[in-house]
Amino acid sequence: MSTRDVDRIELLQGTLDLLILRTLLLGPLHGHAIAKSIERNSEDVLAVEQGSLYPALHRLLKRGWISSEEGTSENNRRAKFYRLTAKGRRQLRAESAKWERLARAIGRILRPAGEEGRL
Amino acid sequence: MKRRRETDGLEEEIRDHIERETAENIDRGMTPEAARLAARRKFGNVTRATEEAREVWRMVWLDQLAQDAGLGLRILRRNPRFAVVAVAALALGIGINTAVFSVVNAVLLRPLAYPHPERLVWLADHDPHIDRDFADIANFFEWRRYTMSYSGMAAYGYLQAALGTPRGAGYTTAIYAAGDFWKLTGARAVAGRLCGEDEPDCVVLSWGLFERLYGADSRVLGGATTVNGRAALLAGVLPRDFRVQLPMWWIADHPEPVEAFVSLPPPRDRMAQSGQVFASLKPGIRIAQAQAELEALQKRLEKEGGHRGIMTRLRVQSLAEKLSGGSRRALLVLLAAGCFVLLIACVNVASLLLARAAARRKEIAIRTAIGAGRMRVFRQLVVESAWPALAGGAVGLLLARWAVAVLVRTAPYAIQRMAETTIDGRVAFFTLAVSLLAAVLFGAGSAVACRRANLLSALKEGARGGAGLLGAGTRRVLMTVELTLAIVLLIGAGLMWKSLVRMNQRPPGFAPERTVVMKVRLAGPRYRAKPAQDAFVREVLRRLAASGLSAAGVSTWFLFDGAPAFPVDSDPATTHVIRVNACSTGYLEALGMKLVRGRWLNENDDGVLLNESMARQAFGRLDPIGREIAVPQRSTVVGIVADLKYFRPDAAAAPESFVNWQSGPGVFNLEIAARTAGDPHVVVRELEKQLAEIDPAQPVYDARTLEEALAATIAPRRLNLLLLGGFALVALAMAIVGIYGVMAYAVAERTREIGVRMALGARRGQVIAMVAREAGGVAAVGIGAGLLAAWGATRVMAGLLYGVAPNDPVVFAGVAVALGLTVLAACVGPALRASWVDPAIALRAE
Repeated sequence: MSTRDVDRIELLQGTLDLLILRTLLLGPLHGHAIAKSIERNSEDVLAVEQGSLYPALHRLLKRGWISSEEGTSENNRRAKFYRLTAKGRRQLRAESAKWERLARAIGRILRPAGEEGRL
Repeated sequence: MKRRRETDGLEEEIRDHIERETAENIDRGMTPEAARLAARRKFGNVTRATEEAREVWRMVWLDQLAQDAGLGLRILRRNPRFAVVAVAALALGIGINTAVFSVVNAVLLRPLAYPHPERLVWLADHDPHIDRDFADIANFFEWRRYTMSYSGMAAYGYLQAALGTPRGAGYTTAIYAAGDFWKLTGARAVAGRLCGEDEPDCVVLSWGLFERLYGADSRVLGGATTVNGRAALLAGVLPRDFRVQLPMWWIADHPEPVEAFVSLPPPRDRMAQSGQVFASLKPGIRIAQAQAELEALQKRLEKEGGHRGIMTRLRVQSLAEKLSGGSRRALLVLLAAGCFVLLIACVNVASLLLARAAARRKEIAIRTAIGAGRMRVFRQLVVESAWPALAGGAVGLLLARWAVAVLVRTAPYAIQRMAETTIDGRVAFFTLAVSLLAAVLFGAGSAVACRRANLLSALKEGARGGAGLLGAGTRRVLMTVELTLAIVLLIGAGLMWKSLVRMNQRPPGFAPERTVVMKVRLAGPRYRAKPAQDAFVREVLRRLAASGLSAAGVSTWFLFDGAPAFPVDSDPATTHVIRVNACSTGYLEALGMKLVRGRWLNENDDGVLLNESMARQAFGRLDPIGREIAVPQRSTVVGIVADLKYFRPDAAAAPESFVNWQSGPGVFNLEIAARTAGDPHVVVRELEKQLAEIDPAQPVYDARTLEEALAATIAPRRLNLLLLGGFALVALAMAIVGIYGVMAYAVAERTREIGVRMALGARRGQVIAMVAREAGGVAAVGIGAGLLAAWGATRVMAGLLYGVAPNDPVVFAGVAVALGLTVLAACVGPALRASWVDPAIALRAE
């Protein structure tokens, strides 16, 4: 493991699903583009093992949160594109709210502790 | 479906992903090898990603199913006694259903083995009195010539044949065939050829007869032979599996196989007067159109003075329906009865499952506690019960195969086309479906019982090791259901049994077991004129008189239509059909007829005897003696005989008139009856020998006691009774076993309670009374519900009964009492065991 990898954060169970949904909010993408987008937007902090993307995509497909379709990619190659469904959009809204609440709560708990430590 | 579509091309997609990554890496300046390596590392384990993605779709139902199945098998293996009992009960229930269904499949579902079976129709004049169809052969030729609705039409009839062979006459049952018989049956000859259209005097043999009479020597084909003394051509041989489709009554009268087919000479030769007609409708023609055309044609023919229909009740109906019509209702009733037996088996297995509910309840409570959904638990129970059901189905299929083989061998003609019964794909599918349905049925039952398992109380109770009373209510309901089903079956069987008893009731003096009957049909050129026929009959009568029998005679019966109006409805425009029996003096006496009024006929008498039905029909309440009636020549009524059912036991006696045999128009179909005090079968052989001495070319047929002849006509009813009775007994046995089990379990369960009661001073008698009261309550409800259900259900059996109302109070009451007593008997053991409970031991067991 390189030293750079130590700074990266392993994804919590279920987080990848949320990230995929968020990524697809901008429009349909193929698998590789989804992975790239997550990497870019998290500024490479989140370690997504690209292979785990596919089981996650199929989980979402099965729940009906995303759908798949055949399409052509930017360099004119055939690829499978994933698109957010209305159900997925609702799910994303609910999950994001939950995450924000969780993050705020954890932040509230952690911040005073840190301040006390500085005192 | 969705799963297949989504995971299609998954590998390709992943390969594509890695290639894109590689290309990006190359763009960033890596060497191709390094770029590929980096891309692979970043992706991780390709195989695992693929498998996990597929798993998403697979996991849920398939893996769980395999899990449940494995668990079910382990549970079954751990309870071998339960497994054996459950599989045995289900095998019986499913076996009965499969056997009946395989007959239904052969008789009602599978098309006739003729080409275009859906277009084949049956054309006939129907005689409602004896429920027989006839068509005048002369009419048949006119029908065939003038109708437009048919692409082919054929006639055939019964023929006892003496065939000329190199070693003398060979006797067999044949049919004569006319018109497009071979075209409609679609038969092919395996040797020689079939008869051509309208080719007279040509013989086709079955393979069996070809072997028996001619040693399967194909050199005889194309050569000359004789049929009842008439020259004919031996044309060809049919394949072994050729089967001619005959109506029900024919098979009842002549159960022996048809072995030869003789083409009919021109009608003027009078080889046959009436026969059976079937035809193939042209495509697009409906039965109603064909019937209308036939009726119009018949009217025209009669107006032009041609041949007349005998009964003028022309009918065109589907051949398949005609052939299976007689057994349809009986088969459906049997199928329903089989379902009842299976239901009882299911109830038994379900109550066995319930008896184990205590242990299962704890297990299920734990499963629910660690997160199993309700649906998941339900599915597990159903999958578990699928094992005994499938095993029962497999054993049942074997049982059914064996039962069908026995049935076909012992009573091949009791149900039309039953000999064609086989276990085919459709039957196997039916068995599988029934097995799975049974699994769902009692699996759901135990799931419902366990659903009430309150998590907390189950765990608590389990800790105490007590079974609790859960399921006691459910078990009582199951017991009630069992009794209800059993009583419906028993009442059905009871009604059929009483019908059969009614049919076989005999008036005093009627002794069919001591009466011998046989038939001769005078055929061939020698007997074309009446003097030759009369001479033959006189010789028969002389030999009968010399044989020392207590009474013997001959008769030939025929129908006359267009006889003038009777006194009761003396409207000159009305005409009647009259059934006339031209007989010798000894014939009626031999049958056991009783004279009610007047006198018997003498030799050379020109009077007429009527039976009571005929007297009532013709003269109402007037005294018929001394009055005249046209039969068809005007004759004076000299006596009245009592109605006697000497022809069909399961129908009312037909109105009949009897005249002296010489007054008949001609003697073709001769019936001989003789009464003996000795062994009737010796008499049969003796008379056969005597008749062969008169003319060996005129074969005697249907020689047997009158009792056997009567029994043959009700063979289907006897088989129905046998099967329904058998099913009812199996159901009864299963119900008793089930009830015994439930009661024994209930007593074992309440040992502690009984111990407490006895410790507090309850006497043995009171304990026994308590158990009996409980069983009696359930029995009363079950029997009451069963009587109500039977009241409704037996109505569909009305057509199968004779002389018994579908709600016959004697049968209902008898079955109810018998079943009630049986239930109480089944409770004796458990009740005694309850009374032997030792309070000290029962309480210490706590």
